[in-house]
Amino acid sequence: MPTTRRSLLKTSALGGGLAALASCERITTAVNREFLGESVPTELHPPEAQEIDPDFHLLSRAAFGPWPGDVQRLKAMGQAAWIEEQLYPESMADTACDLRAERFESLYFSAGDAYEFRKPVLRDEITRHSLLRAIYSRRQLFEVMVEFWTDHLNIDLEKGDCIYLKPSDDREVIRAHALGNFYQLIRASATSPAMLVYLDGKTNKVRKKTDDQPNENYARELMELHTMGVHGGYSQEDVREAARCLSGWTFDRNRFLAMNQSESFFKPDWHDDGEKKLLGHIIAAGGGAGDLDRLVEIVCSHPSTASFIAFKLCRRFVSATPPEGLVKRVAAEFTRTRGDIKCLLRLLLSSPEFQASQGQLLKRPFKFMVSAIRALAADTQAEKSVLEPLQRMGHGLFQYPTPDGYTDDELPWMGTLMWRWNFGLALAAGNQPGVRVNLWPLRKSLSAGKHASVWFAHLIGRKPTEAELKITTAIDDPQTVGLILASPAFQRC
Amino acid sequence: MIHKPLGSFLPALLFKGVKRMSTLTRRSLLSKLALAASPAFSATQRDEHTLIHVFLRGGADTLNLVVPYADDQYYRLRPSLAVKASEAIKLNDRYALHPALKPLEAAFKEGRFGAVQSVGVDNTSGSHFECQDQMEHGDSMSGTPAGGGWLGRFLRLRGADRPSPLSAVAIGTALPESLRGAPAASVLERLDDMAIQTAHGRDSADVVKALRAMYGVDVTLLGERGLETLDLFQKVGALHGTPYQVENAARYPKDSFGTGLREIARLIKARLGLQVACIDLGGWDTHFFQGNATGQQAEKIRTLAEGLAALEADLEAHRANYTIMIATEFGRRVYENASLGTDHGRGFALMALGNRVKGGQVLGSWPIQADDDGSVNTPGPGGLHLETDYRHVFAEVLRGSLGLSPAESAKLFPDITLKSVGLM
Repeated sequence: MPTTRRSLLKTSALGGGLAALASCERITTAVNREFLGESVPTELHPPEAQEIDPDFHLLSRAAFGPWPGDVQRLKAMGQAAWIEEQLYPESMADTACDLRAERFESLYFSAGDAYEFRKPVLRDEITRHSLLRAIYSRRQLFEVMVEFWTDHLNIDLEKGDCIYLKPSDDREVIRAHALGNFYQLIRASATSPAMLVYLDGKTNKVRKKTDDQPNENYARELMELHTMGVHGGYSQEDVREAARCLSGWTFDRNRFLAMNQSESFFKPDWHDDGEKKLLGHIIAAGGGAGDLDRLVEIVCSHPSTASFIAFKLCRRFVSATPPEGLVKRVAAEFTRTRGDIKCLLRLLLSSPEFQASQGQLLKRPFKFMVSAIRALAADTQAEKSVLEPLQRMGHGLFQYPTPDGYTDDELPWMGTLMWRWNFGLALAAGNQPGVRVNLWPLRKSLSAGKHASVWFAHLIGRKPTEAELKITTAIDDPQTVGLILASPAFQRC
Repeated sequence: MIHKPLGSFLPALLFKGVKRMSTLTRRSLLSKLALAASPAFSATQRDEHTLIHVFLRGGADTLNLVVPYADDQYYRLRPSLAVKASEAIKLNDRYALHPALKPLEAAFKEGRFGAVQSVGVDNTSGSHFECQDQMEHGDSMSGTPAGGGWLGRFLRLRGADRPSPLSAVAIGTALPESLRGAPAASVLERLDDMAIQTAHGRDSADVVKALRAMYGVDVTLLGERGLETLDLFQKVGALHGTPYQVENAARYPKDSFGTGLREIARLIKARLGLQVACIDLGGWDTHFFQGNATGQQAEKIRTLAEGLAALEADLEAHRANYTIMIATEFGRRVYENASLGTDHGRGFALMALGNRVKGGQVLGSWPIQADDDGSVNTPGPGGLHLETDYRHVFAEVLRGSLGLSPAESAKLFPDITLKSVGLM
C-alpha cells in the first residue's frame, strides 16, 4: 500500500523520526531526563499553610497535579500568566513528553488506513499515548481538556470498528478542538468516522420511495449528551427531525481503501431531503448535505447548550454542586463568544468560586494515578502493567461502553478504593511494575529528613493536621509516602 | 418537562436534574431514612435469601426475547428482525422464547421462570441515562425523589442488623445508583483478588490500622466507603485459600458476566448474609444490525441464558435461597429502522427466575397495540405502551424474595399505590 507508507513517512518526518525513537526509548529517557526538565529541582519548598495552597490548587484542577517544582514556577510567573501560557499550548515546547509519546505509529494514520494494524496494537498505543501525555506533557490544561472532551464525546473502542477509527477521532476531533471552538468540535465529531460507527450514523438512511425509518441513535445523543442536555427543551419529534437532517452521512471502509480518503462522505440518495421542523426552526427542503451544518448551528446556539456545557465544565473544574452564579456567567460567556473554549476556561479558572473550592472534588482514578506519578517525578513508559491498576479502579481508558462517558459523580468511584491503596503503597515502595520511582532526590530537595509532615505538604498542598501527621508517620519513607497516597486527603483535589 | 416551550429553558431545571448527584443529597437522605427506620423493621432474623438483580443496560428489545409469535403485526413491522415462529421455542399458543433462551426453557415449564409484559418507567425522555437513573432510584417523573437508590433505601429500612459489607454486592468496578444509600455495599470482580498488598511481604496489619484510622476520622462518604472496604477485605480473607469448586459441572460463560455470576453463587453458598447482588449485562442498544434468531442480539441472549442456567446448576442445592430479577431501562420500537435495528421504545418484558416466582406464564395484556406502526407517539418515543409501572413489580419481587412488608413498601415507593402483579 504505497500511499499509506507515503503518508506515514510524511507524518513521521513531522514527528521527528519515529522509527529512530522507538528503538531506543530507554536510553533516551535515562540520559535526557535531567536537561529535558523531568528532574527534581534541588530545592523544594512545600506549602506550609493549613489550607491548600492556591497555586497547588490550580495545578490540581487545571493540570493533573503538580510535578515537583511546578508550584514554585507558577508562583514566580503568577496565575494569570500561567493560565495564558496553558491556553496556547502550541507556544510551549514539549520535547521531553514528545520523546515518550510521539512514537506510536498507529496514531498518525487516517481512519481507513488504520485497518492495517492489529487490534491489540491499536488498543495499546492509544491508551499508552493518553497516559504518557497526561503525566509528562507541559501542556497540562490541554491534556485535561482532552480528557474532558473524550468523556463528553465518548467512544468505546470495542464497539464495531471504533478501534480502527478512534485514533483519528482523538487527533482530528478531540485534540484538534480541545481548546478551540465548541461549534467546530461538534461539527467535526458529527462526521467523524468513529462517531458515525459508534452511534450508528453510518447506517442512518432514508431512501427515496421507501418507508425507511431513520436511525435516531446519534441524533438523540447529539442533543441529550453533546449539546442541550436531557431537559434542554427538545421533544421526541425533534430527535426524529434531527435524525432526518443527518441521514445520508456515512462512511465506508472499502471506499477508504479504494480512494485513500480519510473522511466520511454524504450520500445524497440516502438523505431525506424534505422539509424539517427542528426546535422551532424550519429547515427548507432540498438542503442536502447542508442540513447538517444547519442542525449543528441550531443545537449549538440553543441556550440550553450554553448552560449545559457551562454546567459540565464547572462540575469538572469546581465542585460537585457548582455555584449557580458561576454556571450562569460561564454560560453567558459561551453565548457571547459562540463557544470559544479558551474564553470559558479563562473566566472559570480566574473566578472567585474556583479559587474557593480547594479540596472539594474527588479525584477520578485516572487523575489519582497520574497525580501520584507526577508528584514523585516517576519514570514510566506506560506499559500494560501500569494501565492494569486503572482497569481495576474502574477507569480503563477508551473503554466506557455507553455514550455518556465516565461520570463525574463520586459514588461510583468509591467502590474500588482498595486498588487505589494498593497502587499508592506499591508506587512509593518501588513495587509498581512498569514505574521507576526514586524517593531520594525528592527527600533531599524537600529536606524531608524523617518528617512525614514535609511529605504530606508536598503531596497534598497543605500542612497535615495533628491526627493526619500521627497516622501517616510510618517506619520508613516509602511507607509514609504510600500511606499519604492512600489517605482520604490525596483522593481529593 | 421535555415539552416546555423553548423559551422556558431554565438553568434551574438543569440543576434539578442533576441534584441527586450531589453529596448534599446523601446527607438529606440519611436524615430522611433515620426518620423512616423504626425498630419494628430491624433485628428480626430472616431466612437467608438473596435477590440477584440483572440489569440489561442499553434498553433490551424484549420483543425478541419473549416473542409474541401469534401476532401478524409483529411480523409485518419487523420484516427482517422478527424471530420466525418456526425457530422460536413455543411456550403457549401466543408466546415463544428466543431460541437462544433454550437453557431456561425447562425453568419456564417447571413454573420457575416467568415474565410481565409492558413494564416500564413513566419517563418520556427516551434517554438511557434518565430512564436507568429513574429506575435505579425507584423514582417517577412526576413524583419527588425519595432519596438514594431503591435497593439502598430498602437495605437502610432493614436497619443495621446485618452491617456486613457483603450484604449488598455489585459485580464490576462501579457502585450502581440502585445501591446508593445502602448501609454497606461492595464492588468486586473476583473475590480472590481482594487483598491489601504491602511492600516486601510485610504484614499488612499496620497498614490496615493506619488506613482504618485515616478513613475513620473522615466524616464524609469517602470515609464511610473506606471503612467498608477494610471490612470487606477482612471478611473476604476468610474465603481465600480454598479454591472455589462449582457443582453439577455448571459451565459459566467465560466472560465478566459468567465470572460475576460464579462469584455471586460462591457468596450465596458461603452464607455470608448476601441480601442483594447487582450484576449488569450491557450491549442491548441495538439500533443497528440487531439480527433475529441469530446475530448480535442473539449472542447477548445466549450469554444471559447460559450464565443464568450455569448459576441454576451450581446452586441446585440452594434453590430456596435466591430470586433473580431481570430488567432493562426500556424496550424498543416495534418497527425496525432502515439500518436493520430498533430505536428506543417504552415498555419491556421484565423476567424473573426462582422457586418463589410464579413462572410458566407471561403476565400482562397483549403487547402490541394498534398504533405501534411507524408513527412516533407522544409523549415519549413509540414502542410498547406502558401498562405496569416498574415499581409494582420491583416491590412485589422484594416482597416475595426478601419479605418486604406493606409498611416498608410504602416507604420504599412513597409516590405510588402499589398493586399486585401476580409474578411472585
